[in-house]
Amino acid sequence: MKKNYLNTPGALKIDLMLRGIRIDDPVVKAWACGSSGIDIMLPQNTPVNIPCSEEFTGSSPYIIKKKGSGYAITDGKGEVGVSLLERPAFYNKKTSTGVHFSNIGASHGSYTVITPSPRCDFFNRSIECKYCAGNFDIKGRDNTVYSVEEVIETVEAVLKEKSSGVIYFSIGFSDTDDGGIEFLKPYIKAVKKQFNCLVAVEALPPKENHWIEETYALGADSVLYNLEIFDKELFELICPGRAQLIGQKRYMEALAHAAKIFPNGTVASHLIVGLEPPGSTCQGIDFLTEMGVVPILPIYRPSKGRALRIEPLNTEIIIPVYKHLYGALKKKGISLNWVRDISMVTTPLEVRELVEGGGKTIAESFYNSKLGRKTAWGLSTLRRKLRVKDSKDEGH
Amino acid sequence: MSVEIDTRPLWLILSLKALRPAFFIALALLFWFLATMPTPEGLSIEGQRAIAVFAVCLILWVSNMVPLAITSLFAIVLVPLFGVLSKKDTYALFGNEAVFFILGAFMLAGAIMHSGLSNRIALNIMERFGDSPRKLLLSIFLLAAVLSFFMSEHAVAAMLFPIVFDISKGLNLRPGKSNYGKLLFFALAWGCVIGGVGTFLGGARVPLAIGILKETTGRTIEFLDYTVAVLPLVVIMLLVGYFLLTRFFPIDVEGVESAHQVLVKRLKGLGKMSYDEYAVGAVLGVTILGWIFLGKQAGLATVALVAVVVLFVLKLVRWKDIEEYVNWGIILMYGGAIILGTALDKSGAAAWMVNSALSGWATTPWTVFAVFSLLSIFLTEAMSNAAVIAILLPVSVGMADSLSMDPAIVTYSIAVPAGLAFMFPMSTPANAIAVSSHYISVKDMAKGGFIMCITAWVVFNLVAAFYWPLIGMGYTK
Repeated sequence: MKKNYLNTPGALKIDLMLRGIRIDDPVVKAWACGSSGIDIMLPQNTPVNIPCSEEFTGSSPYIIKKKGSGYAITDGKGEVGVSLLERPAFYNKKTSTGVHFSNIGASHGSYTVITPSPRCDFFNRSIECKYCAGNFDIKGRDNTVYSVEEVIETVEAVLKEKSSGVIYFSIGFSDTDDGGIEFLKPYIKAVKKQFNCLVAVEALPPKENHWIEETYALGADSVLYNLEIFDKELFELICPGRAQLIGQKRYMEALAHAAKIFPNGTVASHLIVGLEPPGSTCQGIDFLTEMGVVPILPIYRPSKGRALRIEPLNTEIIIPVYKHLYGALKKKGISLNWVRDISMVTTPLEVRELVEGGGKTIAESFYNSKLGRKTAWGLSTLRRKLRVKDSKDEGH
Repeated sequence: MSVEIDTRPLWLILSLKALRPAFFIALALLFWFLATMPTPEGLSIEGQRAIAVFAVCLILWVSNMVPLAITSLFAIVLVPLFGVLSKKDTYALFGNEAVFFILGAFMLAGAIMHSGLSNRIALNIMERFGDSPRKLLLSIFLLAAVLSFFMSEHAVAAMLFPIVFDISKGLNLRPGKSNYGKLLFFALAWGCVIGGVGTFLGGARVPLAIGILKETTGRTIEFLDYTVAVLPLVVIMLLVGYFLLTRFFPIDVEGVESAHQVLVKRLKGLGKMSYDEYAVGAVLGVTILGWIFLGKQAGLATVALVAVVVLFVLKLVRWKDIEEYVNWGIILMYGGAIILGTALDKSGAAAWMVNSALSGWATTPWTVFAVFSLLSIFLTEAMSNAAVIAILLPVSVGMADSLSMDPAIVTYSIAVPAGLAFMFPMSTPANAIAVSSHYISVKDMAKGGFIMCITAWVVFNLVAAFYWPLIGMGYTK
């Protein structure tokens, strides 16, 4: 018998992400139109991006319906009140050069992902990650490069709207020693110079560790080198480009070094749940947390037209993996506050309720407040000022 | 961009960062305390304030918390601000002859190096005399010393370093392992150090000392007199240095043919001697004669500056070429040191410090000489030689007066040992350059340097006691 997850937002988020949702209401349909999923706020301020247009969502038990002045999700046996997350207004605006802001930035809860170039050279060499074609909406062969000015205009619009507090730069593979950081450098510097916001960088592990140090010195407050799969054989099979040109060993080394440089809880790596056996994901969680790295667990959602056809896991199997993640992070004393309020993945904080019960703490509410965000930015800036040694320090 | 991340605990970094402001607050409080405490008997209020400024500068010079030149700016600002000397007198002291002599010497050295003359001389001597390991070593040692008679020892070390480095590579000497590699770089560093005390030109410290001497007593030391007095020390130390080095690190190579090829290749690269090299060499020769024979009447600075003007008139150098060789920080530093020394003297602070602090033990001229030379030779291992002079000289000159000692002798006792820094890379740039080759470790240098320091002090005191009377110099007036 299927469990009822309606009363536990963390579990409901996982189940919704796996099974998707049906939409009958014409207003909601219009709301979700053209998006990869629909953004909804579950109870306890838990944002979720739910698939709604893929084939598999047709068999989902969940349906969203109008209830009074708001909305509710029902599985036929019960229901829970939710709210629709307004589509950010900046999506409808353009830069002064006529580029849609939505081409450059996409908000996912507390983060806005900025992609200065969607190019990923794995595609050009036909060694792209097998799950990538469509799953994360990556246009690997697109050679478009947005200018620093265009990116700055986008970030300004994002921050003005207060839709996100963290600017998350993402870059695909390019065959350089620096893992893409040289390309991102002018963007990061410009954002840090113009705005008081936190910056995360998702890049490929550079060949040498000094690039990691430079990433921190440039102004990145968080860094992600996404391993995606811990099992070595599956990693080589599913991510041939990463395996051939970077190698799992280098991922581990780079993550371990980054964890020594960046603040506690700000170095992260994706392990996609569903691409390898749950036991292997749990081993990956232990390995990463041992180094001080936060594993982020996106859920693999197969759909029509993708190269990779793997039967998805179900929620009953996945929830223990997330519980294991929470336990491992707590055991190693890794901060949970950086990876939070993301609609695309279930965060460790959202899983806490499943392990310990209880809602958000005062500290978490503070982190979510305007003052909390400013404090986080201030502390992060101060830490960088203290840690980065001035190479121009004059001798006597 | 080269970035370094400090991964020590944040509390430790914060504590260390807090040390700097805490240090300056403590220093300001110390200054305030010394300047405002009840004036001791026998000391004027100006003297008390001069001592307060001196204490601040002493701490800053020793601690190196700000560049040496900036510490001098403190002195330049504080002396008139607290009424120790008038503004006019303070800034006029910056026009001291020693400052301009140093400026002229920097420019001359710059012209010699820029023309390539110094490089050619060095390569020729090594190529001609260095046909065996022992001779090559000796030629580098002596060449470094002799060139340091005419140019700043720092410049000589920097100029010879690439040549010696190429020789080491040519001989396949392993850094840190090869005895001969160590010997070559020790010869370079210690040759420069020993030769640097031979004349006024080896460094700016002797002109600085003479500047302070002249401002406080009206006395001076002539170019030739100085060299004649110091030459035996230089010769003995070169012999001792060579003996010690070859005992510490026995020569472990059999031939130097490949080094010889390196030198020949470098010499060929220079081409034939140019007009500029001949002309600069001639100007330098005439200038040295001018210092020897006209120094007393015309002044050393005048001779140096005339030479510089001639170089420009003959279009042997351009301002752009010279500018990079002039260390303006050192010039600023020396100006400040002279102001501080004069302030201590004119306010009576130097004499008061001597009477109240040192009169107990300094009962005979030779003990004064021995103690100040010992202090100088060891302090210079840890701090700038100019700072050693700025700290010790005003006090020692005051003491000389009370014991009827010749202040010029006391100046020697500090100025000469202040240049004999053998022990550490931070003691003098010549040592730092040698250690940067990785052929010599700091431990090697400290071990051998300590013996050299002690030897130098003993030899210097013996030279003062037995040789100087022969040339008409004595402890007393």
